[in-house]
Amino acid sequence: MKPLRQPSVLPGFGLTFGFTTLFLSGVVLLPLAALVLMTASMPWSEFLHVITTPRAIGSYRLSFGASLLAASINVVFGFIIAWTLVRYEFPGRKIIDALIDMPFALPTAVSGIALTTVFAANGWIGRYLEPLGIKVAYTWIGVTVALTLIGMPFVVRSVQPALLEVQRDLEDAAETLGAGRFYVFRRIILPTVLPALLTGFTLAFARAVGEYGSVIFISGNIPMRTEITPLLIVIRLEEFDYRGAAALGFVMLVISFGMLLTINLLQAWGRRRHVATGH
Amino acid sequence: MSITLDQVTKRYQGVPVVNDVSIDIGDGEFFVLLGPSGSGKSTLLRAVAGLTGVDHGRISLHGRDVTHVPAQKRDVGLVFQNYALFRHMTVADNIEFALRVRRVRASARRERRRELLRLVALEGMDERLPAQLSGGQQQRVAVARALAHKPEVLLLDEPFGALDAKIREELRRTIRQVQRELGITTVLVTHDQEEAFALADRIGVMNLGRLLEIGRPDELYTRPATRFVATFLGAANLLLARQTKNGLRFGTLGAEGGADGSVADVPQGAREQEVVAVIRPEEIELAPARRALVCSYLAAGVVEEVAFTGALERLRIRLSAGAAEAELSRAANGNGDGLLEVTRSQHEQRAFGVTPGQSVAIGVRRIHVLPTPLSSFTAYAATLAQATELSLHPLLAELASRMRTRVSTRTADEHAAITGAAVIAAEPEAVAKIEWLLKEGVEEVLVLPQGAGPPQRVLIHWADDAARGATLAVAASLLRHVAAEGVYVGILPTSTPDGQRPHSMRALLDARSEAQAVHGLEMRTELRFGDVAEELARRLAESPDQILILGISQLTGLGARFGALLRPEARSPVLIVHRAADLRT
Repeated sequence: MKPLRQPSVLPGFGLTFGFTTLFLSGVVLLPLAALVLMTASMPWSEFLHVITTPRAIGSYRLSFGASLLAASINVVFGFIIAWTLVRYEFPGRKIIDALIDMPFALPTAVSGIALTTVFAANGWIGRYLEPLGIKVAYTWIGVTVALTLIGMPFVVRSVQPALLEVQRDLEDAAETLGAGRFYVFRRIILPTVLPALLTGFTLAFARAVGEYGSVIFISGNIPMRTEITPLLIVIRLEEFDYRGAAALGFVMLVISFGMLLTINLLQAWGRRRHVATGH
Repeated sequence: MSITLDQVTKRYQGVPVVNDVSIDIGDGEFFVLLGPSGSGKSTLLRAVAGLTGVDHGRISLHGRDVTHVPAQKRDVGLVFQNYALFRHMTVADNIEFALRVRRVRASARRERRRELLRLVALEGMDERLPAQLSGGQQQRVAVARALAHKPEVLLLDEPFGALDAKIREELRRTIRQVQRELGITTVLVTHDQEEAFALADRIGVMNLGRLLEIGRPDELYTRPATRFVATFLGAANLLLARQTKNGLRFGTLGAEGGADGSVADVPQGAREQEVVAVIRPEEIELAPARRALVCSYLAAGVVEEVAFTGALERLRIRLSAGAAEAELSRAANGNGDGLLEVTRSQHEQRAFGVTPGQSVAIGVRRIHVLPTPLSSFTAYAATLAQATELSLHPLLAELASRMRTRVSTRTADEHAAITGAAVIAAEPEAVAKIEWLLKEGVEEVLVLPQGAGPPQRVLIHWADDAARGATLAVAASLLRHVAAEGVYVGILPTSTPDGQRPHSMRALLDARSEAQAVHGLEMRTELRFGDVAEELARRLAESPDQILILGISQLTGLGARFGALLRPEARSPVLIVHRAADLRT
């Protein structure tokens, strides 16, 4: 750690570091500690029982499965949107660029209700999917759709600056060296934006796991099938089963932490392998 | 020929950025495309590389027509100003990129890589990442990468632009060495004339999308054909002079340069004609008095400024009244104050030291006369107010500033001879005025309607065959200074029998090749049928931003033949070029 004598715009290191610690503790660490403590007060057998009920396991599968799927969809389509916004000049580009942030600003309940209206069996889109045998609302598909919606801005906003850095010249250079379009994409563009893409994926995934408001409207909340873990936690709370709720929350915390850590390690490893050290 | 460009044109939103460029580049030649930014040189290079399509014309590499071949299959190596190295790959991976694409075996790749790193003096840098190299080293890697697949031609787009002076020179030497060693045909784009001189076998100078001149560096420096090339390749003083039997006469004082004809390489001509003379600052000699000069006397002047720059001394001298008239209104060196630029060696300084304010006699060792037919403009009208207004016409002002020449005024009751091209307004009596001016000996008359702007297209037509050479020369001169395309309009009477048509087509193509060969002018050709004036009027009406260059050799019946084109309601400017038939032979 560098000592205090670093000239900087912000006040001294002691003050800022103190504030950082206080802020993180008050807002992040203390509530988490309370959660762990509450869980720790449970007997081991009861804890195991609560977190392994078929209903709980079904909810994990949906929460994490749908989140992973949604984040993956976002990586593909978020990349395409970012590419379009960065590379092309067209009327209305600024408006579309602004629209990307809408899911951030909208109350999640509103987007949930809106999605349900559109995808319900008699909704605008749902009525055409229904005859094809595709049910979106009140199934896992609906959950994925909702999670895709709220995660999309994260990918787009992470990839945009990285794409801006891929200079046209690089593609031109690769082209004169004989590389075809797909080769250029795979060997030049993708490696350059991969770290940003992973960051976007991580953010979208983390957001999706914690999402509650938009999902409960479209999922139908059928136990074992379309019930997400955050909802199960709320149900436990409403039953005044605080310890059960804490136990489920603890499981989510552990799984999420594990996944984020893995992705971060992957990224760090990739950086060591590919990207220049020190500028 | 290694690279052949044939009438290559590229437009952006209708405006030609590369305009009818034709070049032949020989095997193993180092060719430099030189021009200011925005001259179209980089676009032309990208077109050769296949990164930009062309709207017109053909490109071939080693006899293979590649106009529609994508960049991947052109087999060229391209080096960019900002290196464009792949930052996530090591030096080795960067250099081997083209070989990997071609699925070359790993051992062969390694071999080639070693060879290339030795060539650019970067042995042992294989595993570095681009960010760990200096700018000069990165550009060396870029050169090695561009050569990996043994391309047929090497293209360099301002490769030294991002480097500081010392590294620049070092890398310049490396590139010249590599080019010689491999004997690879190379095209380099730059805006730096010093760089061009240091590297080029031949230089092509571009401006406004046109290739103005091609030649060896020394050739272009000592004998430029255009004002632009004269001033872009180093400092030059442009002066207006009268060409007489004895040599050149500057100003009204009758100062004569080259009485024995040895100083100036003057084109032969019978009449006393206005010409543009180029005098390099280092060709000027100073002395305390006229008789102390070793070379021909030019004029007297007063030293305004002396600056010491190490090896050379830079002086700026104001010509004394009378001789000052010789100077173009905007001095060629771009400072626009009409001072004569002089550089002198240490030796000359010791022989005759000068201080600001001192009067000196100015002598010239060597004068080059530009073979341009348009020397200056004279706005001609009934009253001074009208003449002044005419001289401020936006198109005329634009032309004069681009040609770095002067617009003077002249009223009907003055008796001084009109110099250069005359300019009159499009008015009811225009025809009579033109007839009078041409009889006075003026050879070019520009008829300007109100509100005409810079042209996009220059239409060329000569009504009498005797005026053909002069018309082409004037068109070439004009087209070097405006970003427009040249179109020769050939017109045949409707009654022409079918058997006659192939003959006319041939005449049309002859005109095109004459323009190309004699004036370096690329122009398109059109063949129309009908009455000459009617067809020209119809062609001019198609779009407003055109100008017509009309060559004639007979004065009689001018009004009857072309009056319709010269009326006040005509929207397009017309430049009449007159050469009497008997004088031409």
